[in-house]
Amino acid sequence: MKFGASIRPRSPALLLAALALGGCAWDVPHSTLQARSDLAREILGLYALITWAAIGIATVVCVVLAWVLLRYRGRPGAPVPRQTRGHTALEIGWTLAPALVLLVIAVPTIQVVFRTQGAATPGALEVVVRGWQWWWEFRYPELGVVTANELHLPAGRPAVLRLEGTDVIHSFWVPQLGGKRDVIPGRTNQITLTPDTPGVYPGQCAEFCGASHANMRMLVVVHPPGDFERWVAGQRAPAREPAGEAAAGKAVYTRSACVGCHTIRGVSAGVVGPDLTHFGSRRTVGAGLLPATLDNVAAWVRDPEAIKPGVKMPALGLTEAEARALAAYLLSLE
Amino acid sequence: MATHQAALRATTVEPHAPAATGVWSWVTTVDHKRVGILYGVSAFAFFLIGGIEALLIRAQLARPGLEVVSAQTYNALFTMHGTTMIFLAIMPFSAAFFNYLVPLMIGARDVAFPRLNALSFWIFLAGGLLLNASFLAGAPPDAGWFGYANLTSRAFSPGLAVDFWLLSLQVLGASSILAAVNFVVTILNLRAPGLSLMRMPVFVWMTLVVQFLILLSFPFITVALIFLMFDRFFGTHFYNVAAGADLHLWQHLFWAFGHPEVYILILPAFGIVSEVLPTFARKPLFGAPVVIYSGVLIGWFGYWVWGHHMFAAGMGPVADAAFSIATMVIAIPTGVKIFNWLATLWGGSIRVTTALLHAVGLIGLFTIGGLSGIMHASPPVDLQQTDSYFVVAHLHYVLIGGSLFGLLAGAYYWWPKITGRLLDERLGRVQFWLLFVAFNLTFFPQHYLGAVGMPRRVYTYPAGVGWELWNLVSSIGAFGIGLAILLFAVNAVRSLRRPATAPGDPWDGRTLEWRTSSPPPPHNFDAIPPIFGRDSFWREKYGPRRGPLAPPPAEHGLHLPAPSLWPPLLALGIGVAVGGALIHVAVVVLGALVAVYAAFRFALEHHRDPAHEHQVGGLGVDHRKLAMWAFIGSECLFFGSLIATYMAYRGASVVGPHPHEILDIPITTISTFDLLMSSLLMVLALAAVQRGDRFQSRLWLGGTALFGLIFLGFQAYEFTTFVHEGLTLQRNLFGSTFFVLTGFHGAHVALGVAWLLSLLVLDLRGRLDVRDSIKVEIAGLYWHFVDIVWIVIFTLVYLVP
Repeated sequence: MKFGASIRPRSPALLLAALALGGCAWDVPHSTLQARSDLAREILGLYALITWAAIGIATVVCVVLAWVLLRYRGRPGAPVPRQTRGHTALEIGWTLAPALVLLVIAVPTIQVVFRTQGAATPGALEVVVRGWQWWWEFRYPELGVVTANELHLPAGRPAVLRLEGTDVIHSFWVPQLGGKRDVIPGRTNQITLTPDTPGVYPGQCAEFCGASHANMRMLVVVHPPGDFERWVAGQRAPAREPAGEAAAGKAVYTRSACVGCHTIRGVSAGVVGPDLTHFGSRRTVGAGLLPATLDNVAAWVRDPEAIKPGVKMPALGLTEAEARALAAYLLSLE
Repeated sequence: MATHQAALRATTVEPHAPAATGVWSWVTTVDHKRVGILYGVSAFAFFLIGGIEALLIRAQLARPGLEVVSAQTYNALFTMHGTTMIFLAIMPFSAAFFNYLVPLMIGARDVAFPRLNALSFWIFLAGGLLLNASFLAGAPPDAGWFGYANLTSRAFSPGLAVDFWLLSLQVLGASSILAAVNFVVTILNLRAPGLSLMRMPVFVWMTLVVQFLILLSFPFITVALIFLMFDRFFGTHFYNVAAGADLHLWQHLFWAFGHPEVYILILPAFGIVSEVLPTFARKPLFGAPVVIYSGVLIGWFGYWVWGHHMFAAGMGPVADAAFSIATMVIAIPTGVKIFNWLATLWGGSIRVTTALLHAVGLIGLFTIGGLSGIMHASPPVDLQQTDSYFVVAHLHYVLIGGSLFGLLAGAYYWWPKITGRLLDERLGRVQFWLLFVAFNLTFFPQHYLGAVGMPRRVYTYPAGVGWELWNLVSSIGAFGIGLAILLFAVNAVRSLRRPATAPGDPWDGRTLEWRTSSPPPPHNFDAIPPIFGRDSFWREKYGPRRGPLAPPPAEHGLHLPAPSLWPPLLALGIGVAVGGALIHVAVVVLGALVAVYAAFRFALEHHRDPAHEHQVGGLGVDHRKLAMWAFIGSECLFFGSLIATYMAYRGASVVGPHPHEILDIPITTISTFDLLMSSLLMVLALAAVQRGDRFQSRLWLGGTALFGLIFLGFQAYEFTTFVHEGLTLQRNLFGSTFFVLTGFHGAHVALGVAWLLSLLVLDLRGRLDVRDSIKVEIAGLYWHFVDIVWIVIFTLVYLVP
């Protein structure tokens, strides 16, 4: 899997820090410390402020503690030290000092809370995000596009993600694009953000949601201006008619239980599993688990449980040949 | 000075008759010290189980894509690890110290209710065993220690796993509430004369704060679990979104308990550190009143900040901002505590013992955990950190770096007092440094893992996203922690095999527990110790002495509580009844019968024992009355949660019948009037008992019970009518909330009626007279409370349109 060119260290200092922390910056595509949207930048600014304040206080406390331990180490036979019971002025002082530090943190915190949770910008791209055990559905009501496990957004245009729960609580989290927000059945939560750098950003469910919570991943593809429209046009097109092995795969699809749960426009209309009309255009299979290669897709349709424990999709008892044909068909649906 | 000390020791260490031995003496013990040891040993056993779970978790995560355990098993492991460490390890470890030390530190001979104390322990043990029995049944809980609805509903978690979890948590909660009532009364009422509240050791103060937090926060999880139990067993809709439920309900109730719980886990450790530092710095605790106030404030603010666990849940900016500010405010008293601890060490003559090392370790590590806590007090930052490994790092810095280091400091400090033997200091130092290094190796990198986006509660993770190295380091560190705990166990066992030669005051201590022998005699002190001020024992040894501040009480012989079989039997009955819910209703009935029998024997065991008649302490209020007040305080929040849920779900039902179509206000007005009148009869009954009027006491006791029965008759009629009209528990949210609220109130009335009838039977058999009026008085308190609750229910459910 490749995660776009945008994930590069921005400065030598960051690179050094990342190396010191045991990885190369370009190896940490889930990093919360690389902001690629307005929301993520707002958060990162606050994050940095509070982190430095915390590091400063921790350093002072630890240094004082170490110094006190060295300086006032008792020797055998030392006299009983003076029984100091307190010092009012000092104590008032170190009550007020943390209060002042907190004020410095609290004011920008409240500002960011209200700025990032305001009403959606008019003209924002609306996406309905639905969490399912254990995959993501993305619906673009204005565009008539439905996709799964791969969210596409244009760079530079505000997007409103309306989070709708279906079964249990999930949490939508794409660290480089901003903080997480729970996807709760019966409530509609919202994330407003404007991605600013084209690239591919991985994300993952962040609220424990059952057996395969670890396997509920996704990708967000941020398109350069203009490119997004091309993607939309592709998604709105009807499903491709297959040829060759893929045609045999279509026959497997239509006679199997696949049709009960999945939609391929013009072929089947199931709604329990991901819409597969343009499956071939996606990078991964199994909700971000594996690259969508013929081998992986065939393995997935033969025995999904082996890849994703607890998965709701049953093994259909396909032969190896049927599975490969089906995979070829699905991958042909670009 | 030295001769004075020697003389003092000579007077306090005296040979005593050997204590009873054998397994049976431990089963029936009501000695607070033995109950404390039982708590400690059980907690350590459960702690080892939780530790093994942790090591399996870290083994699985050592490399990406490992299959040491399956996904399902992994989910069970982290659920059981969290639940075990919180409820079966840290809480009972703290309880072990409360039990062993509080009576000694306040100069008392035992807790206020020794048998209730034993009962708390046995119920705790029953709950812990029930929870772990889930492994034997092949259904370990696997929905997280926080058990978020609706993942815990039957639809998404079929099988017994969640049932085991919710039932054992209810049992453990009952144990905590009983213990809390006991310790509130003990601390407020059993202090030696002259030991005013502000002269109490800070550990006792923190114990007191923790007991209040338990009383005021456990009702929330009790109610949340009752809803879950009704959803799973009886088909109600509290967490059923299709029926109109709001999943924030569980989260609010759970965290309204869950956040105070954090302080329940950490404040005892703060208390221990506040004792250990002054002893080994040989200086008084700096600004002790401020440390006490800040502990109280931490508890108080900690009670109002549960919403910071829900910043990602979408409460809206106003709630986010409010909970954020409230959370940040906690940093102020916490900072004050840390600065006062530093100032205690400053200018001291520090003896670097293992106990001190752990206490100092706590200051450093808790500071880090507290500061990362401030980071997620900021909602926007929290959105990047919550449910990531950053939070895992944070909470372990608080609960290991804070609680466990504090508890270990206490273990090294009080080990000689408890066992009469010192722990090996050299081995202890090795253990400390191993633990300190391994702990930081395990958890410090997890801050980074969270910052680079690794979510919590994942049984596996992909390669190539920068998470591999530090997961491996963290796993290696975890096994180092395991080794350190093993070293502690070795140290403990080796120490126990040596002769008991520790002196009464091995550390030159400051508080009263060091004034008696090690281990103390069953009655703790030959005479209730005189109090010379804060750090009384230090003042007694070194001055300046003021007083004694109050004359010691006139004692007519030592009265020590007799061993009793009824606490363990009652706990057994409760355990069987609750566990039976997973087997067959016949087992439930059997367990309940045992419990009821044991409860009656328990209640009547010392009836008419002259030593039990006069139980007035420091506050001038009878122990039993104070206990009832504490319990009623807790009950207020229990009913408050039920009523608040009813109000929150008002109008949320998606199908009828709705309240206005079905509630019969005239009939209920009559039953309300009946219940109010029963309170009047209760007053008359108490007055009659107090003046020894046998005829009237029987008349009014019977009358009160009869009026209670009439109220229950009305309720039975009302319920039957509603069911006929189509309103059942399962019908809609209104049915679920209405029946559970009024049903629990009805159950309280029924319990009250049973209580009154028991008193009536006693009276009829001539065993209730003026001396027993306190028993009628506390029954009356309970009865009036239940009546007042009904007035609130009647107003809010029936009268408010």
